Amino acid sequence: MSKETKYWRGLEELANSPEFVKHQQNEFTEEVPVEQFLGSGLIGSTSTTRRDFLKFLGFSVTAVSLAACETPVNKALPYIIKPEQITPGEALWYASSYFDGQDYASVLVKTREGRPIKIEGNPMSGITMGATNARVQASVLSLYDSSRLTGPTEKGSAVSWAAVDQNLAAKLGQIAASGGEIRILSSTIISPSTKAVIAEFSEKFPTTRHVTYDAVSYSAMVKANWHSFERSAIPSYYFDKASLVVSIAADFLSNWLSPIEFAKQYAKGRKVGGSENAEPAKHIHFESNLSLTGANADVRYPVRPSQFGTVAASLYNALASYVGAPTIEASKLEIDEDIKKVAKQLWANKRKALVVCGVNDVAVQMIVNGINTILDSYENTVDLRSPMLVRQGSDEAFLDLVKEMKDGKVAALITYNTNPVYTSPETLQFTEAYKKVGLRISFADRPDETAELADYICPDHHYLESWNDANPKVGHYSLTQPTIAPIFSKATGHKGTRCAQESLLLWAGSNQDYHSFIQKHWETSIFLHQSKESNFREFWNTTLQNGVLEVDLNSAADEKKLVVAAGKAGRDEVKDKAKDKASVERMDLATAAAHVNKYNPKENVWELQLYEKTSMGNGCQANNPWLQEMPDPVTKVTWDNYVTMSPVDMKKRGYKMQERQDREASVVTVSLGTTSVDLPVYPQPGQAVGTIGIALGYGRTKAGTLNENENIGVIGKNAYPFVQIVNGVFTYSAGDVTLSPQVTTTELAATQVHHTIMGRNLVRETTFEEFKKNPKAGNEEEELTTSIGKKDPEIETLWDNHERPGHWWGLSIDLNSCIGCGSCVVSCTAENNVAVVGKDQVKRTREMHWLRIDRYYSTDWPVLTKDAEEKADKDGVGKIAMYLDMENPSVHNPKVLFQPVMCQHCNHAPCESVCPVLATNHSSEGLNQMTYNRCVGTRYCANNCPFKVRRFNWYNTNENEKFAKLNPAQDDLGRMVLNPDVVVRSRGVMEKCSLCVQRIQAGKLDAKKELHKLQDGAIKTACQQSCPTEAIVFGDINDSSSRIAALRKDNRSYFMLHELNIQPNVSYMVKVRNAEPEMAEAGEKHEGKSTEEKKAS
Amino acid sequence: MTTTLAGKIRAYRVSAGLLFLFCFFCLSFSSAYAEDGAKIFKQNCAVCHRLDGQILTGPGLAGVAQRVPSDDWMFKWIKDNNALRKSGDAYANGIRAKYDNKDMTVFNGVISDEDIKAVIAYIKNPPPPTVAKGPEGGGDATKGGGQAGSGEGAASTTNMYFILAGVLVLLLILAMVLRGVKYNLLNVIARSKKEEQIVDKGWWCETKYWLVNHKRTIAALVIILFLWLGKLAWYGMMDIGVYTGYHPEQPIKFSHKIHAGDNAINCEYCHSTVEKSRHAGIPSPNICMNCHKGISSGATTGTAEIAKIYDAIGWDPKTMTYDSTKAKGIKWVKVHNLQDFVFFSHQQHVKVGKVDCANCHGDVKSMTTAQQVMPMTMGWCIDCHRKTEVAGMKDNPYYEELHKKLAEKYKGQKITVDKMGGIECAKCHY
Repeated sequence: MSKETKYWRGLEELANSPEFVKHQQNEFTEEVPVEQFLGSGLIGSTSTTRRDFLKFLGFSVTAVSLAACETPVNKALPYIIKPEQITPGEALWYASSYFDGQDYASVLVKTREGRPIKIEGNPMSGITMGATNARVQASVLSLYDSSRLTGPTEKGSAVSWAAVDQNLAAKLGQIAASGGEIRILSSTIISPSTKAVIAEFSEKFPTTRHVTYDAVSYSAMVKANWHSFERSAIPSYYFDKASLVVSIAADFLSNWLSPIEFAKQYAKGRKVGGSENAEPAKHIHFESNLSLTGANADVRYPVRPSQFGTVAASLYNALASYVGAPTIEASKLEIDEDIKKVAKQLWANKRKALVVCGVNDVAVQMIVNGINTILDSYENTVDLRSPMLVRQGSDEAFLDLVKEMKDGKVAALITYNTNPVYTSPETLQFTEAYKKVGLRISFADRPDETAELADYICPDHHYLESWNDANPKVGHYSLTQPTIAPIFSKATGHKGTRCAQESLLLWAGSNQDYHSFIQKHWETSIFLHQSKESNFREFWNTTLQNGVLEVDLNSAADEKKLVVAAGKAGRDEVKDKAKDKASVERMDLATAAAHVNKYNPKENVWELQLYEKTSMGNGCQANNPWLQEMPDPVTKVTWDNYVTMSPVDMKKRGYKMQERQDREASVVTVSLGTTSVDLPVYPQPGQAVGTIGIALGYGRTKAGTLNENENIGVIGKNAYPFVQIVNGVFTYSAGDVTLSPQVTTTELAATQVHHTIMGRNLVRETTFEEFKKNPKAGNEEEELTTSIGKKDPEIETLWDNHERPGHWWGLSIDLNSCIGCGSCVVSCTAENNVAVVGKDQVKRTREMHWLRIDRYYSTDWPVLTKDAEEKADKDGVGKIAMYLDMENPSVHNPKVLFQPVMCQHCNHAPCESVCPVLATNHSSEGLNQMTYNRCVGTRYCANNCPFKVRRFNWYNTNENEKFAKLNPAQDDLGRMVLNPDVVVRSRGVMEKCSLCVQRIQAGKLDAKKELHKLQDGAIKTACQQSCPTEAIVFGDINDSSSRIAALRKDNRSYFMLHELNIQPNVSYMVKVRNAEPEMAEAGEKHEGKSTEEKKAS
Repeated sequence: MTTTLAGKIRAYRVSAGLLFLFCFFCLSFSSAYAEDGAKIFKQNCAVCHRLDGQILTGPGLAGVAQRVPSDDWMFKWIKDNNALRKSGDAYANGIRAKYDNKDMTVFNGVISDEDIKAVIAYIKNPPPPTVAKGPEGGGDATKGGGQAGSGEGAASTTNMYFILAGVLVLLLILAMVLRGVKYNLLNVIARSKKEEQIVDKGWWCETKYWLVNHKRTIAALVIILFLWLGKLAWYGMMDIGVYTGYHPEQPIKFSHKIHAGDNAINCEYCHSTVEKSRHAGIPSPNICMNCHKGISSGATTGTAEIAKIYDAIGWDPKTMTYDSTKAKGIKWVKVHNLQDFVFFSHQQHVKVGKVDCANCHGDVKSMTTAQQVMPMTMGWCIDCHRKTEVAGMKDNPYYEELHKKLAEKYKGQKITVDKMGGIECAKCHY
């Protein structure tokens, strides 16, 4: 017998134990718990035979189907007394204002049957001019957040308002009587009436002081302006008046100061092809992370955070030479030559130039002030006469407060609209200090990180439920009015929320409602500053209806009086303090430069730049799933924050490059001093080499229901602890961060991981130089390759043309105006009841957004396949390698393009011809209609769609438990946000952009009713309405006088995949970059070689 | 006679000079007026005024002609009471003050001067008050008639079946008899020819032979039978979820017949948002109270049903006060249920398309309980869209260009809704 090799299935078989032998013959080695499976042995004791069972089955199936035939009894409940202004089925609009300590926007709130369902911008506002951003759009969902508190709590347990009021009035009285310090800590308050309330409160309790603290601080700007101009204020900026914008790390399109306003102005200045064909404004950007603003720049220089000051100083020196001003100290930079070129351009654009800086450092800001002074920007593009009031936080005051708290000097602390336990730097140890406060009161709407530690939480209304006013800029006022009765109130069986201002008034012994308080306040202050209306009632009603009030500064009696009336507490605080201490002297530029010179890049360390995401901002809306699922405009990652790093660095350190959706990302430990977090690394082309970026606003542990979801938990990691305190202000960069090797791996959910357009001419761009020479530059006609040579693709077609006797709807998207901010994405989600699917599903490419924004990095490879093939031939690169190479953007500093893509409503739609049940077909108005009830879910259409815009419902997200606490439309409260004019889709059906057909139908009906032709612009799609840059235009192509008809004939207009002859109704317009080629190249080639070489890690 | 009419009479007298003829004219005019007046009164005035002395929102109108200063005053008051009051008319201001300073509707431009005159004529000569009809008076008669009709119909079909069955039986008997006769005759012939006798194997056996020998015919018959049954089943299934004739019991026995039929209240008075919104709107109880503040007893159900309205809105008829804390609302049972996935707009159909309510809702004016008359299926919608010309299209500037284009394209044909894209999916489903 030959020797046998033994193959064994497991260690048990190898050991051949008696037990194993016994079970070997059984199908299952372990006993299958049949009994348990069938239900505790009851099955044996029943007398039901198999036949009986079948009878029951048959009967019940029949009974159920018969019962289903019964008329469903639907009840209809009319109002008891119908409010006159409400017409069931018709929307009612209210003008209001949004301010959460971060974004300001004057808004119009759409309500249906008393429920706010959509936010739009208020075109009457002189500040936001009808624009909104994603966060403002999403704020309506936060109203229906079931994690909001339904009533006051005392040490975590629910109590009645009466008890709270009694206790607090007594306790506060006691504290004040015994001379104990009371502090009110808030984020920026721009409401004059709220300030008046605080003043009244302080009068009653004289030991009260109000401290303003912004999660992301701008207080260095206020200080710098005091040093430079003796004005403790943040000026207004006019990007539309600037023909050259230079930004040093100011992400003004998504976060810096007033992004909505700036985006609007920016796009206005950068329109091309107007009647006069004027040169669009140019934008040069210095930064370390690739921000949304940097992505839109004509020329962008990646710079390490430690060198921002040096860039400013070098720029100052270069400009100083033009006016003969003394130069200041500045270290050498390798981009010095480029900076000189920038300075030259700035000088050429004197009075029309604007330099902004997002570094929260007094010295750097002072140098920038110096630059703007040389350029005569003041009174032209920068206006200190009408200061902006949206950031009033004072870091100094906050630091003093924490010191007081630590010393046990603060007897009571009232926090309003702020969350310092979450947002303060680790070195400050705010939590410990907070615990030392005798009485902690919070107005938070939920037990968040700070409120959780408070003795009392007195939940404030949501802004859509409350009265308020706003003064975002001197001379500009607006009102907030309730659009729904408080959701949590006695009427709904809760103890209820209460307006924070009313609570303060009540404790101060004044029993008046805030509404009449505002009116009284306006009657005695703001009303007196205007001259249009003489009757206060009428003045109030007009202002309330318009939502905004603008007081002409020139006609106002005294500008100073206005400033004082607008916001005494916050802004003047720094000044007052300066006076008090008398030690703060005005710094001169040379001293500032000396300060700046100290910040030099260290060797062998990573530099960290903290930033805010366009979607999440400072994190106050972290429980909003619309924002969590909105892809970051640049990285396209959802539901997470991460370390952004240059792919060059990543390769060097051996981190995993997430090249595909299903590939894992390396998790590394980022440490700075005692602070460290574990975060995945995400490749970010354009990130300055040797630097990393981490987004703030994540890692909330007490944000609400999302945290309680076991599949989600804490989203991302909190980066606020990394914030440094340098020279008394918060600094959002750090110079000596260490990174560990890969600790573990994780998956990130990105909606776009491929970077190339595979040689197709999908996004088109040109330079202004080229455009001047040839208006069709960059917009070459696509031709179809046939056996008989190149042909115009429209010549040969299989299909008949559609007749469109009435309307012909079209959409035009100007890639030159689109900044990729994602406002349209959230707006579309809100308008069309688009489901939230969560990180896991996004990872499986199952996000439901009808509108996505594709982000393309440009590569060194030629865009056209033909040219690419030539190059590949020359370089000896194989075809696959060629495409792979095209995937890699020019890693150091790529140019970025944004392209919103929704259903293109093709007239020869590939999806229509493959649908077996005609669920998708073409209308006589040019729409590609999707009929959910016909759809059987074959997904042929999605397969055949060249744009991949069709989304399939893999789950019934609205009723599936898996999506509980994730999809807000799931719970009864969240369901109130649904737009009743749009069907909620169920499992197994396809959906896609309908061009807001509900709005089209409503707009047409209005015209029919009012007996007039449909006006151009009367119908706006949701994406168009929310776009801050007016990049999207919708209209009737058949109407020859319409904007869309003109735009489609424009030289820049093109169709995606024109060569397929699918004839889309959505057209795009070529992006025109205003950059001299050599400069653009210079910016591109800059890669910080020296630092790279120094770093040998 | 009113002064204005008298004036007219005088004018006629001058021109014709025939008093007799004039009396005749006068009479005929006044009766025609009164007839118009009754209709206009019901549509516009009856909501607030009663013809007897009872006060609703406004004063009762019994003897009003004697109370007011003049007929001319009454005309001016009805036409534009605001203007009259502003002119400083003491009586006008007094009357407003007397009735809690409630504003009366200004009818200037709403109804014509002729109509106002007709209403005045009607108010002055109201019809004698009718004695409340016995329970289900009129309604019963029509109902009875309807039932009788349907009874007759049923009886005639049953008779038909009986006759048919009788004929069938007779034919069968005849066939049996003839069969017997046939065999007898055959046997007679056989006997005469001295051939073998033919044995009757029985009709069943013979049928079997026939069946075996006619397989094709049988197959054809079976196929026909299957098709027929299939068709029955198909149509049966098509009716699932179609609720024509659905008339659920409502929490309040509200009769459209009394309101819209007998009292000729315009549909839009209660369903007030029909021209403003996609929903026609179920009236809120405060609209009921416009009239039922004064009418607490109905013709058929007495106080029982109207008391339910009071209950719903929290009205105390004794103290004539509202108590909103006691308001409960009314849970009506929806009669016309469209699916959630279809968007139907009343506004589009009634205001723009000028479709009459009865087109889809049937003769509501004769319904004691609201009933679904039409199937309300998609097929029914499309059918109508294929047949109907849009009434409001011709003089609506919105449609001008489209209408021109379509008229050219479909020369001579009716331009129906479907020709304008009215049967495309996304017109109703989105």
